[in-house]
Amino acid sequence: MPAPVVTGVSPKEGPPGTRVTIRGENLGTKQNDILGVEICGCDCTLSTEWKSPNKIIARSGPGKGRGQIIITTASGRGTCTVEFRGYFERIGPLKESAVWVEEASPIGPGPWSKGTTFHIEDPLGLSVEADDTKKLPEDDLQELFPGCNGDLSSEQFSPGWFLLQHHQSTSFDDLRVGLTYLKRKVDGHKEGQLTFLKGNVSSVMEQLEVLEALQAAFQKDVEDFGNDRTKKIVDAIMKSKQEGKVLFDGVLKGKEKADRTRNALGVLQRFRFLFTLPAAIDRSMQRADYDAIISDYSRANNLFGKTEVNLFKKVLAEVKLKVVDIKNVLKTKLHSMPTTLEAQKKIIRNLVQLEYDGDPGWEAINVHVKYINGQLNECYKFHMTNLEKFSSPDAKSKSSKRDKNMEKQNSITERVDCIEDLCDIISLLLPELWSLGQSYFSGDLYMKPDQNKLAEFKSNTLACISEMCRLVRTSIGQGKSPLVGWFPHCLQCLRSVAAQLSQIPHDPLTALIHHFRMECVKSVLVNAAEQVNELSAKENWNQIHEPNYGLITQLPGLFKTSVNTAVTTLKGSALQKEAKEAELFDSEPLQKEAGHLVLVIFNNYKKVMEKLSANGEEEQSFTVSQMGASTYRQNQTTLSWEEKLLCCVCNVKYSCEVVLPDLCKSASAAGLPPLDWVMKESAASLGELRSQLEYMYKEAKSDPLVGTIEPSMYIGHFDWDTDLPPRGVRPYANEIIANLIAVHAQLERCCNWMKDTALTQITETVTEEVNRLILCAARMSNQGAMQAKLDITALQFALANYTSGPAQHFLGEALEAIPPLSKADEKTVEELLENYKTRMHLQLYAFSAKSK
Amino acid sequence: MSKKPTPQPALHKVIMVGSGGVGKSALTLQFMYDEFVEDYEPTKADSYRKKVILDGEEVQIDILDTAGQEDYAAIRDNYFRSGEGFLCVFSITEEESFQATQEFREQILRVKNDENIPFLLVGNKGDLDEKRKVTLNEAQGRAQSWGVPYVETSAKTRDNVDKVFFDLMREIRSRKMEDNKMSNGKNKDKSKRKKLKCTIL
Repeated sequence: MPAPVVTGVSPKEGPPGTRVTIRGENLGTKQNDILGVEICGCDCTLSTEWKSPNKIIARSGPGKGRGQIIITTASGRGTCTVEFRGYFERIGPLKESAVWVEEASPIGPGPWSKGTTFHIEDPLGLSVEADDTKKLPEDDLQELFPGCNGDLSSEQFSPGWFLLQHHQSTSFDDLRVGLTYLKRKVDGHKEGQLTFLKGNVSSVMEQLEVLEALQAAFQKDVEDFGNDRTKKIVDAIMKSKQEGKVLFDGVLKGKEKADRTRNALGVLQRFRFLFTLPAAIDRSMQRADYDAIISDYSRANNLFGKTEVNLFKKVLAEVKLKVVDIKNVLKTKLHSMPTTLEAQKKIIRNLVQLEYDGDPGWEAINVHVKYINGQLNECYKFHMTNLEKFSSPDAKSKSSKRDKNMEKQNSITERVDCIEDLCDIISLLLPELWSLGQSYFSGDLYMKPDQNKLAEFKSNTLACISEMCRLVRTSIGQGKSPLVGWFPHCLQCLRSVAAQLSQIPHDPLTALIHHFRMECVKSVLVNAAEQVNELSAKENWNQIHEPNYGLITQLPGLFKTSVNTAVTTLKGSALQKEAKEAELFDSEPLQKEAGHLVLVIFNNYKKVMEKLSANGEEEQSFTVSQMGASTYRQNQTTLSWEEKLLCCVCNVKYSCEVVLPDLCKSASAAGLPPLDWVMKESAASLGELRSQLEYMYKEAKSDPLVGTIEPSMYIGHFDWDTDLPPRGVRPYANEIIANLIAVHAQLERCCNWMKDTALTQITETVTEEVNRLILCAARMSNQGAMQAKLDITALQFALANYTSGPAQHFLGEALEAIPPLSKADEKTVEELLENYKTRMHLQLYAFSAKSK
Repeated sequence: MSKKPTPQPALHKVIMVGSGGVGKSALTLQFMYDEFVEDYEPTKADSYRKKVILDGEEVQIDILDTAGQEDYAAIRDNYFRSGEGFLCVFSITEEESFQATQEFREQILRVKNDENIPFLLVGNKGDLDEKRKVTLNEAQGRAQSWGVPYVETSAKTRDNVDKVFFDLMREIRSRKMEDNKMSNGKNKDKSKRKKLKCTIL
């Protein structure tokens, strides 16, 4: 069998509960074939009646709007070609309805008056006249139809009134049409009633059946119980009422008794509480549960404070004695330190609650002050005894230097420890004291504070800080500050304390910090000076080429590093100005003092360089070559003294022109006072050192050179009065030139900028010596004169670039001293000279290029 | 059950009008289900739809069976608006029902605003010839004056039942085809129709 198809619905719309005739095909062959009926999505299977395979009847559910009718049979879920529309109907007072619509009365100002207003249609089906002005006044109508009105639902309804009121200007024809309408409506109503009954026949039948059943039941009751059917019930009710009363009375009595007993028990309990109180207090004491005692005590006071019974008075007195004991215990507790703030506050509270007749808050404050002072002093004493232990046996045993150093180190650590501990004590305990004081004076300690004590409290607090400062100052120790490098650290400790105490006045501490900052600057600078002093040991003569300054060593770098370290340390500690701290160098003398300390550093540096340059003086004679050949770097690793000297010169120049300005700049940037005068002074002294060193170098070079001239001039028993014709330039002249070339080479390598002045001066001394020797020659043969002329002109030519005025003069004088030569001889000399020039071309090339 | 791939067959909407108790529902049910309902139960508004073969073409017919009672006169306008063709039924045994057809005709023309709306005048209960109150001539005369066909039927014997429905569907179909053709002619014809309607009113 194919699936069902619905092709017809009657009616096609209606409110919920509408009896819907559904027609179609394959709607099953019996009632049980219908497995499901859905109208507008609502399951209506239960209300379904199977009539034929083409027709079933169902009641619509609460579905709203258009929807399909789907029949499900054994052959499947069906389809539908028509639609049913569900809607909700508003039931008015004149509308018949077969189903109960609402529990509440549908008439009157009930629930439906708030919905749509009830509007009575015109019974004639005519539009109501809109024009109000034409209406007859109500009074006239009242006169025309006394005792009537125009209300359709009224019993006194008068059609005349109604027509005059509503259709005064309606034409007769219209009224006739209205009448037919009304008639039709009435007829329709009659027919409609029948229709209505037909439509709802099952409901009506149901109602009838129910009514019949009711009647039957009623009749049966009459038969069973007679006419007065409630008598039995009334009797039963009366009886149970009496019984209930009896029961209830019993219960009431029981309750009364129970109440009385409970009261009595309560009283007994109270008495028992009093009698057990002393024991309870003892127990609580053992547990240190003072709160419990206090609450018990106040309770006992409230209950029995005004009692007249002697026994109670006695017990109460006993309790009071105990309380006095407790007070004493608490007081000792309050006075015992150390303890936490919380515990102290609790004790104070307990004492106040126990009506202690002192000022426990103030006492606690005093105890605190005393405790802090005690702690400070104790700590100080402890560390000082340790210090003595270090120093006293040391003085007696006179142990080795290293031990002494150790001792010194230990004593410093001890002092630093002492300061640290003092700081800890203050930063730990003072805030507690302060907050205790704050709570006391703000009245947080459960009692009225004595404001007069405020000043005393403040001075006490300050005294604590002062004490701490005093101890710190003493622990620094006297004389040359023994804490040297530890000042920054101590400063940090003090500053953290200051930060801790920022809420509390701590002027002495601020002063102390200022003092520490000053000390810190001093100690660091002094330390730096010492370090600089030791730099000489660190010089390793490794040469570094610095453009414009020649070969320098790492010394200036080391110096710079150590000073910079000091400056950085200071910058991070003392020079860093923290909140509320005063300017460190606020006065001229202080600035001067700092400057002096820096100057000491620079002077130390100068001394170091002096010392280094002086180092090789004893080897001087050894390092300069006896004969022209240069001993230029015999050993690759060690430098000759002259080279070291040159390095020192370069170092000095470099330090003076680069390092010092740099340092001064960074120091000023770090916060040290302006150091211009320091720099000027140092530069001057360094300049002095430089010229001194330069002079030393020149002396060192020219002295041996000059010394060798005479011996080598007369080497091999040479005599100016010789008869041997000159064969070339004499060795002494060659040696002079060779030596000068060596010096030139050294300077070129190490110290280029000094080359010109140094060579010029050396040339001067050399020419002077040559001049002296030539002038000293007793007699000079023709050949000797030729030789001399050749030698001197060779020198003149070779040294031309470094010949200054005096040197020129010396050579000229020497030439003049030589006896005049014949033309031929002159020519020979010239030839020899040319020969020399060609031979010495390479050697002389060094001089030819004057340094830029 | 399965959906056919072919397009949905054409749907012709037929509306049954006429006074109460003339046999509109009987005609409808006879046409739809080949059954004759003896007992009278006033209709409110019933809806039927099924597939039929009209001249070898499958079409769907949708029948709206309306209430004859005057109670429902007000809601008729709404129903009429959706109709494409009307079977105006009266009972040949009841003179008043014949008279009432005039009103129905007017209401339909007013609502549809079209004089040539497919329309059949149907005289039902033809099996009760002995109780005839409306003569054939009378009825034919009125049909002629309206320019519509007149058919006498019997829902009980199924006489001419299929014929009225099929005739009406044919009219509707040709009317629709005409309309489609005239969609080129635009509003010309419509205005003409309007005019005609005006003369009648």
